[in-house]
Amino acid sequence: MTTGIEGVTEAINRAAVEARSEGEPQWLAERRAHAWSVYESLPMPNTRLEEWRYTDLRRHLDLDALKLGSVEARPDDPSSYPAVLADTIAEDREAAGHLVLMDGAVVHVDIRDDLASLGVVLMPLRQAVREHPELVEPHLATEAVPPEEGKFAALNAALWSDGVFLYVPRGVRLDAPVRVTRWIGEEGAAFFSRTLIVAEATSQVSYVDEIVSSDFEAQTLASAAVEVITRNGAQVQYVSLQRMGRGAFYQSQQRTLAGRDSTLDTLNVSLGASVSRVDLNARLMGPGANSDMLGLYFGADDQHFDHNTSQDHEAPAARSDLLYKGALDDHSRAAFRGIIRVHKGAQQTDAYQTNRNLLLSEHARADSLPNLEIEADDVKCSHGSTVGQLDDDLLFYLMSRGLPRAKAERLVVLGFLGEVMSRLPLGGVVEKVTRAIEQKLRG
Amino acid sequence: MPQNEVIQGLDLDVDKYGFSDEEQHVFRTQPGLSEEVVRQISAQKGEPEWMLEFRLEALRIYESKPMPTWGGDLSTLEETLDEIYFYVRPQDRMERSWDDVPDNIKTTFEKLGIPEAEQKVLAGVGAQYESEMVYHSLKKEWEDKGVIFDSIEDGLKNHPELFRKYFGTVVPSADNKFSAMNSAVWSGGSFVYIPKGVQLETPLQAYFRVNQERMGQFERTLIIVEEGARAHYIEGCTAPTYSTESFHSGVIEIVVNPGAHFRYTTIQNWSNNMYNLVTQRALVHEHATMEWLDGNLGSKLTMKYPSCYLVGEGAHGNILSIAYSGDGQHQDTGGKVVHAAPHTTSSIVSKSISKGTGRSSYRGLCKVYDGAVGAKSNVECDALLINETSRTDTYPYIEIEEKRSNIGHEATVSKVGDEQLFYLMSRGMSEEEAMALIVRGFIEPIAKQLPLEYAVELNRLIELEMEGSVG
Repeated sequence: MTTGIEGVTEAINRAAVEARSEGEPQWLAERRAHAWSVYESLPMPNTRLEEWRYTDLRRHLDLDALKLGSVEARPDDPSSYPAVLADTIAEDREAAGHLVLMDGAVVHVDIRDDLASLGVVLMPLRQAVREHPELVEPHLATEAVPPEEGKFAALNAALWSDGVFLYVPRGVRLDAPVRVTRWIGEEGAAFFSRTLIVAEATSQVSYVDEIVSSDFEAQTLASAAVEVITRNGAQVQYVSLQRMGRGAFYQSQQRTLAGRDSTLDTLNVSLGASVSRVDLNARLMGPGANSDMLGLYFGADDQHFDHNTSQDHEAPAARSDLLYKGALDDHSRAAFRGIIRVHKGAQQTDAYQTNRNLLLSEHARADSLPNLEIEADDVKCSHGSTVGQLDDDLLFYLMSRGLPRAKAERLVVLGFLGEVMSRLPLGGVVEKVTRAIEQKLRG
Repeated sequence: MPQNEVIQGLDLDVDKYGFSDEEQHVFRTQPGLSEEVVRQISAQKGEPEWMLEFRLEALRIYESKPMPTWGGDLSTLEETLDEIYFYVRPQDRMERSWDDVPDNIKTTFEKLGIPEAEQKVLAGVGAQYESEMVYHSLKKEWEDKGVIFDSIEDGLKNHPELFRKYFGTVVPSADNKFSAMNSAVWSGGSFVYIPKGVQLETPLQAYFRVNQERMGQFERTLIIVEEGARAHYIEGCTAPTYSTESFHSGVIEIVVNPGAHFRYTTIQNWSNNMYNLVTQRALVHEHATMEWLDGNLGSKLTMKYPSCYLVGEGAHGNILSIAYSGDGQHQDTGGKVVHAAPHTTSSIVSKSISKGTGRSSYRGLCKVYDGAVGAKSNVECDALLINETSRTDTYPYIEIEEKRSNIGHEATVSKVGDEQLFYLMSRGMSEEEAMALIVRGFIEPIAKQLPLEYAVELNRLIELEMEGSVG
């Protein structure tokens, strides 16, 4: 079916959206239909747009070739988990709750009884639509990632199959992270999932979202939309670990809305996939809001990473600090585009932004655009960006202590990237990421 | 320190650049840009056929390119392009003796202090009024050494081979919409040639003056610095204030041959309704150094990014830029360095001040091509905001393809520190004086690189701009 509208294909079209809506409440069906209209009305992003300057979709993504991922319910049978999924889960330490998705369908969910009895909700998004519409309807694809945000946001809002809903009531503090593991196995398909996290006033929660897959022969698309909302004084840590196989096109659109005096920290670790595009927009909406935004990427072969971030200071006296670091080997390539926007009236803003890149090979490439737009005069803002090679002095020092070159290089790279993780020392995450990087360093 | 002391010793007239002269010209084209206008300009100049072809091709390129959507707001300019005069000839011939310059033009430049400056410190002076160079002179000792400092038209006429070899090679017509426009309608500007090994100790200088309302000035400057030579060129621009927009879109091409050293200094102080869109670029060869010193005050919108293409091993590029945006002004300035050879180094230091509803944007590119082993670049931006309605942006593009390179960018934004203000005011200074002093301290690293007269002028201009900045 050719319609002439960019991005409408044999698998991705209005009929598919209608099929997804079957059995859903009226409001959701209408929301999907609206999102689809927005999708149709928007052109496919191209490199003439600043935000897509370094990622040429015509070269990297062939929507026409994709089918829509099947999302049939499966029995929860851990013994049938593919090895990569089983290993990933086995590495996880204690958790407040778990949720596992295979090929876009939730196969497992559990939450500690004591937390459930305090009103914490962790469940598949589809189920939450039915059981907690009063919590889901106001926030889903409205406040944080509405379809109007862009072509991919609209596509996800129209076609999401399932996802995660986490709700933490006022004053409830979780002492262990919520862990979500997503696995994609079906090749040549497109998967759309969504996450909605609402943390009420003074609550506290950490959330680790990991996505893994095997390598694919045919291009496979994993699209994620993540909406995180913190109310006054809440504290939330959102961590995303992307360790997909080659052949994957990973696309994630994240937005965090930080209320008064809340803390909303994020960590994006990008290690896998052939192409990985993460859009993270942090809005600091209440005075005293605070956001640490961390990112880490390590590329090998011809991997392509594109991180696009923004720090929107809309209220006075808020603070944000972004640190993205990446190492690039072989022919891999990374682009970072970050912007700090201090809106009118957001006085006493403290905002920082740093992107550092390490090129490990002759053929790697790093592009960096750390931008500032400042419309208030009583602010402290700075940004920095560097691209360089391994520190020779450091290497020499280690080698003079008897380390072989390869090992010395590994240590320096781990030390370089380790700075990011040391700022968010979440149980198990640091070890997991370190192991994954070491594995890549060994090639 | 009372305020009159701050100003003492700076004998610049407050209203120096605001005056305008009665419009006088011997020829001008119809308003708007067309093939007819381009042909008329070429005919007026009695150009060789290849130049007419070059202009017409550039016009085609200009027409095929969309208006840039990044940078400042060009919508008003777009609407008024049809009303702008693309060529105004103020007199029939260029003078080599100051006494022969027509009185009205002479008076203008005398008010700007040009004859005095020439006598005192300069090796040569060019003065452009509207579209044409009206005066050019070069001290004899330099002429004897083979230095050429001419209007661009005379450069084409008198040195055709040299001219054709370099013209349009550093900034091709197709580089951007405004370089295409300039290539189609260029008029005036300088042609400079510094022979091998000649070290010019005192600067060459050009002044550009737009007097007529709704006038576009499209000067074109071509500078060739031969091996091991050394020179400094200074450019100053002014225009009176009119109620309708004026337009300046120059192209400056510089070739710095191996081992040469060249510095280009611009202090632009256009009137507040001038669109100032300039392409200035240097091609820097082996172990040569290019320095841009770029000061932008005035104009409604400036889009200007002096650039160094480091194409020879060990080439060095240095860009120092300062922007001052007052009410209703947008300075979209910065710098561009392209490392295309091994062991090339560069540095960009940019300082901006935004006052009232002024907006300063730094836009820069640092590009290191694969193979530019050992490239090093450092970019530093500092923005100072004076009022809560001021705005500043920083858009640095960093594109690195070579592992064995080292590239850094840092930027900070701050307001004038309350503690600094308090300290100075507690010593008896008014808030306005204190603010002016802090601002001067902020731009000092750049001002001290300027020849004395320019540093004084820059400070004075900043002081004038700062008046009334404290509510």
